[in-house]
Amino acid sequence: MSFLRLRNVSIHFPIYQGGSRSLKKAIMASTSRGNLARDAAERIVVRALDGVDLDIESGDRLALIGPNGSSKSTLLKTLAGIYEPTSGDLYSEGRISALLDSSVGMNPDATGRENIYLRGMFMGIHPSDMTKYIEEISAFTELGHYLDMPVRTYSAGMRISLSFGISTCTSPDILLMDEWLAAGDAHFLEKAQARLESLFRTSSLMVLASHSLPLLERWCNRAILMYQGHIMAQGTVRDVWSEYKQTFAAPETPDKQTASSQ
Amino acid sequence: MSVKQISLENHRALASVDGLKSQTSHFTRARADIAEGVRLYWLWSRLAYHDIKMRYRGSLIGPFWLTLSTAIMAAMMGVLYSKLFNTDVRTYLPYVTIGLIVWQFISTTVNESCLTFVAVSAEVQQVRLPFSSHVFRLVYRNLLVLCHNVVILFVVLVIFPPTLILEQLTLIPAMAVLIANAAWLACLLGMLGARYRDLPPIISNFLQVLFFVTPIFWRPESLGRYLVMARYNPLHAAIDIIRSPLLGVAPDVASWPIMLAMTLVGCVVTFAVFARLRGRIAYWV
Repeated sequence: MSFLRLRNVSIHFPIYQGGSRSLKKAIMASTSRGNLARDAAERIVVRALDGVDLDIESGDRLALIGPNGSSKSTLLKTLAGIYEPTSGDLYSEGRISALLDSSVGMNPDATGRENIYLRGMFMGIHPSDMTKYIEEISAFTELGHYLDMPVRTYSAGMRISLSFGISTCTSPDILLMDEWLAAGDAHFLEKAQARLESLFRTSSLMVLASHSLPLLERWCNRAILMYQGHIMAQGTVRDVWSEYKQTFAAPETPDKQTASSQ
Repeated sequence: MSVKQISLENHRALASVDGLKSQTSHFTRARADIAEGVRLYWLWSRLAYHDIKMRYRGSLIGPFWLTLSTAIMAAMMGVLYSKLFNTDVRTYLPYVTIGLIVWQFISTTVNESCLTFVAVSAEVQQVRLPFSSHVFRLVYRNLLVLCHNVVILFVVLVIFPPTLILEQLTLIPAMAVLIANAAWLACLLGMLGARYRDLPPIISNFLQVLFFVTPIFWRPESLGRYLVMARYNPLHAAIDIIRSPLLGVAPDVASWPIMLAMTLVGCVVTFAVFARLRGRIAYWV
């Protein structure tokens, strides 16, 4: 029984520009009045999430749909417990695995084998437990002798294949995924899909952010539409997708125009 | 404003999750963060080892480069300044060597402390790890480097053996105190350094000045009636509680009280700040 529950969760990013990152200016501002204080305190706050309520329960396969910059990744990171909400509450139960970035815990100067242990540790897997996955990861990635070469000698496809192989070697209760499978050839994508499908079967809930309708339709049973830090719509993948298309697809929409003119 | 992690075991006991809201405060979460960090010792100790391995990959003698540079520095200063100050090289060389080794531990730890969280920003932003684990990783890494320098210490102490005294037993609590201070500094400066990016140059400038102000290559007694300047310098106290016992003399009467006070105040203040700002670190890095 796993769940993720958000209650009125907001994530506000302060953007520190120039002066407000400076300790000297902050001290000057606290000791003098007037212009300096205004300069140092001048900061923009981005409301990445604004009062989001969301319940994701066991069995849910949630699709996150939304245009670029609609806080899909921020929502995933919040669910993963990386960003502590500025206000509101997050309740979670179950072991979470977040496949957000393909490069985390990967050291380009270390060998592929060392990176398997390294990234495994970041996933909470003790190196002695990781040993039993080596064989299987090696088979999946088809890296062969490259496994003992530094990762910086790998091609982009090989890197993705390796980090994907490591990230998916155990099945968590809660699987959070950002779409980073775009790279890689058809052969890899085929293998990756087979591997993910077995992962989805065993994890009790999943959240997937993607721009690919076939992918979402195949794997998700629920969808939300994100825009400007709000949930604009909820429902089936197909309904939410058509809502998304209607709202954002036409290039003449005012939102798009303001976005491109910035 | 809370993130509540509920373990699988406790699940049955929780009829209503929302009832838990009031139970989580900044302090309980900070405590949980530290406890979780301690439990992850297998993670940060390996990462610290990996850091050092990576830093010296491809170099022949690895981290012993640091040992070598410390050894050369100590030997040069030991010989040169014993002539300049007109003192006996047999007592002066061990004095300088130990001072330099402890100073190097303190200064690299403090310098790196400004980047405790910034240096691992990718990990902070992609993986949920207790923030304390990054602090432990930094301190442990610097301890490993210190261990490489201890080789020089052995050489010097074999050549110039000190008299054995009971105070040498205080070396163990002295190291514990040094580590505790390194930990709170790494945490406090790490948070400040994540928020204010001009902290590293400020700190490294300060340290450069402090190297000359602190009795490392000169003796506090040579200050004469200005001895208090050295005595109440916390950096002198930190070096003194290690150096004096190793040289077979008792540390200055003020050194232990200063160090204990600094440990206590530092830990309490850092914990309060950590509890307050912990949730913001991921936004800052």
